[in-house]
Amino acid sequence: MSFVLHLYVASQKSFMRDRMAMFWTLAFPVFFILLFGVIFSGSRQEPVAVGVAQPAGAGGPDAVSAALRGNAALEIQAGARAELTDRLAAGDLRVVVDAPPGLAADVAAGRPAEVEVIFDPTSAAARDVAVPVIGAVLSDLDGALRGAPPLITIRFTTVTADRLRSIDFLVPGILAMALMQLGLFGTAAPLVQLRERKVLRRLGATPLPRWALLVSQVLHRLTIALVQVVIIIAVGRLVFGVEIGGNVGLLAVFSALGALTFISLGYLIAALSRTEESVFGISSVLNFPMMFLSGIFFPLETMPDWIRPVVQAIPLTYLGDALRQLMVGAPPAHPLGLDALVLGLWLAAAVTLSIRLFRWE
Amino acid sequence: MPAVRAVDLSKRYGDVAAVDGVSIEVEAGEILGLLGPNGAGKTTTVEMLEGLRAPDTGAVHVLGRDLRTDLPAVRQRIGVQLQTTALYPRLKVREVLDLFRTFYAGDTVDTDELIELVDLQDKAGSLTRGLSGGQAQRLSVALALVNRPEMVFLDEPTTGLDPQARRALWDTIRDIRRRGATVLLTTHYMEEAEALCDRVAIMDGGRIIAEGPPARLVDEHFDETPIEVPAGGAELDGAPGGVPGVERLQREGGALTLYSSDTGATLTALTAMATAGRTSIDGLHVRRPTLEDVFLRLTGRRIRD
Repeated sequence: MSFVLHLYVASQKSFMRDRMAMFWTLAFPVFFILLFGVIFSGSRQEPVAVGVAQPAGAGGPDAVSAALRGNAALEIQAGARAELTDRLAAGDLRVVVDAPPGLAADVAAGRPAEVEVIFDPTSAAARDVAVPVIGAVLSDLDGALRGAPPLITIRFTTVTADRLRSIDFLVPGILAMALMQLGLFGTAAPLVQLRERKVLRRLGATPLPRWALLVSQVLHRLTIALVQVVIIIAVGRLVFGVEIGGNVGLLAVFSALGALTFISLGYLIAALSRTEESVFGISSVLNFPMMFLSGIFFPLETMPDWIRPVVQAIPLTYLGDALRQLMVGAPPAHPLGLDALVLGLWLAAAVTLSIRLFRWE
Repeated sequence: MPAVRAVDLSKRYGDVAAVDGVSIEVEAGEILGLLGPNGAGKTTTVEMLEGLRAPDTGAVHVLGRDLRTDLPAVRQRIGVQLQTTALYPRLKVREVLDLFRTFYAGDTVDTDELIELVDLQDKAGSLTRGLSGGQAQRLSVALALVNRPEMVFLDEPTTGLDPQARRALWDTIRDIRRRGATVLLTTHYMEEAEALCDRVAIMDGGRIIAEGPPARLVDEHFDETPIEVPAGGAELDGAPGGVPGVERLQREGGALTLYSSDTGATLTALTAMATAGRTSIDGLHVRRPTLEDVFLRLTGRRIRD
């Protein structure tokens, strides 16, 4: 039986001497995390650009723009209404606020006044940040001008574990992606290469049993998966402070299950491919929809209804969901049991089909 | 007991009969050469003898065991070299040999000894993808020897080697036999078959068309002496009967070979014709008949086209 160990060591050595393979499986996911992490964490701190329309002839900041300037989440710019709406359309500004002249005097005298808030609802910064803030600021101003300070105040209490940042969503997603790509690209190509170069045929002329080759390859892939998990979790934690909040044992189980599922899909790809080129083609065809439709990068709510059945079918959806729950305690899209069941079904189907379709030569 | 005994092997690929009723015996301790042009069915035959391909009809016994029932046991005792030599490009020569040794249950040859046997001492620590064609070929021969095989199959072991490397590999193959192993090799070099093989089986179109020791095959099929007359023209074409002693002639491209049963009479007549200005005998060459001539006689074609 020592041949299993020796084949395993041989695969491991070959992998570690293959710089391209090392890069794509180990360094690439880390680049991904660093890149996305910087992009997402950067956008949060920027104040939102808001234009406040100045009526012609009005001098100095009026009450509305003075009140808005007091809020750090907004960056106030003054100008004529037409000029500001043009800049809004061009994307320079997120929101334009147009208050009638004499608003302060009207409100103080008890006359109603209307403030117009113009924004693009598809802009998250406008919709989720600027508009609510402007509403709150105006409500405060209303009370202040009428000499009736608000009686209801809100005290915000946050619980850090429940408030997920983008990076918290992202790191489990990238781990899921890395495990998928290890299976799709890393498994089939070396195997088809061995077949194309007649190495499988040569091994077939020795007493080596075929299962030994497969077992050693799967163990080798699982080792790389383990290294990926450790590296990705370490980078997430050290660079972005993503703490592992869930059950570490279950996390290991789901990582292994996910890796096995995609490794067996890799074997299925090898079974369907005659050449290395076709491996790359089939893998890419599976890779891209999985990456973008599994919710690992884009929230599922933003996807149109007609595509939901695809989303619900692909295994990466469930691996991503399980890893998010187990790593950062994200709210579950599915119970963990269902995640495990769907991954298990994919695993069983891929193994069955691979055994049926794989050709040794 | 012969080391290999195959009876009535056939293998079809679609409409093509790659091997068509081949029976062959390899005696223990001999070097048998399977000689024939590309596409003659040599590789398919050898792969059926190695147990890598199941024949459509026929049975193979290797080392006294039936491949249909005892293949795993046979694999422990045979050595196989395939035509393609690529093996784990990112492993070192020594590592590949060590790895293959773990596949066998019994006693294996020390890796250093194998490396020395195929003269790869300088490359023992190099990745196999950095080997030249000849070095890779030698490594693949060494891989066929790790388990001290009693029966060794070598498929075109010297193809692509320069003449010096080819001769070195011939020595290695003789060495294998000296250690007590039986060797079956395929080749399309007839000089290789003549120099190396105790017996030769000539294949063409999926069948064995002649078999025996090289010298005897030549004697059996050839009483005549080949006389090459490269400058000879159409005036010699009427030669059977025309030029004394000539039994047959073979024209290939521009080269003309006369097969003469009376070398003296033929040469005298050719000299006379040349003197009279009726033909040219520039570059005339009298030689011993070879397996190439046997193949030509049997098939009307040369082995290497």
